[in-house]
Amino acid sequence: MKIALASDKGGFDLKEYIKSYLEGLNYDVVDLTEEPAADFVDSAVAVSRAVLDGKADRGVMFDEYGTGSAMASNKIHGMVTANVAEENTSHMTTEHNGAKAIAIGAGIVGPKKAESLVNEYLGVNYAGGRHQIRLDMLEKLS
Amino acid sequence: MIIALGNDHIVTGTKIQISDFIKSLGHEVIDVGTYDNTRTHYPIYGLKVADLVRDGKADLGVVLCGTGVGISTAADKNTGIRAALVNDVTTAKYAKEELNANVIGFGGSVVGEHLAEEIVKIFLNTEYKETPENKKLIEKIDGIEKDNPAQHDNPHFYDDEMKLWNEGYYHD
Repeated sequence: MKIALASDKGGFDLKEYIKSYLEGLNYDVVDLTEEPAADFVDSAVAVSRAVLDGKADRGVMFDEYGTGSAMASNKIHGMVTANVAEENTSHMTTEHNGAKAIAIGAGIVGPKKAESLVNEYLGVNYAGGRHQIRLDMLEKLS
Repeated sequence: MIIALGNDHIVTGTKIQISDFIKSLGHEVIDVGTYDNTRTHYPIYGLKVADLVRDGKADLGVVLCGTGVGISTAADKNTGIRAALVNDVTTAKYAKEELNANVIGFGGSVVGEHLAEEIVKIFLNTEYKETPENKKLIEKIDGIEKDNPAQHDNPHFYDDEMKLWNEGYYHD
């Protein structure tokens, strides 16, 4: 599975940490910010475009709080990004929302929890079925 | 203030608790539903909350579904709305103070009742502190996607999807 990563300055160290972690698990990592992006909007948009354009299967974006990256990312038509800080949401959002990316706040989540969050997010698949009407409804929004 | 409140069928009980809590703080609540535990779809309610805030009929919005992801994403996909999904008080405060978030979202099944109340309270009580840096960031967020006028204040926006749902097109 190909995973796009990006971060601003506030999320950079955690992005580097998770990049190594995912590479150690043999994921194909696409690092979109070898240097920190100017702000979390740029890093969130970069991950979103990579996933929407099929250059990556899923994405993880990092900033200080996570919520800003998810807010910016979800503005993009067709994008569903979950700001996650605990494991339950991390796997539920794949199963129920088919989340194309997750956002993690480096100031909120520590490295070991971040490992667990990406594992939970990447370890399951979208369930489809009744959930698809909600995704079709989201897709209809700008 | 007037607070628009929306949820899906998974967390209606928590919504009632949050509604009572917001009223106890001296605010008015516009509860857009859903009102029971019958299966429904979170984008409907995220969109309703977004409309009320966009139209100035509510000052702020509060949205919850199981994880908060779906309904906050739906609300966020509206020009002029900045919906913040949070799991703690620190992030809720940041979202209002720095990003001037006008909708807060959380997982009604994830966050316990006391933490949910503290998240809502800090969101309502925190003022946006404008700086040149965060003003620029907010303008950048607002400019990411173009508006879709058809989705606003349109009670028939999801008629096609609901017709398919009622015909059994979407099933597990």
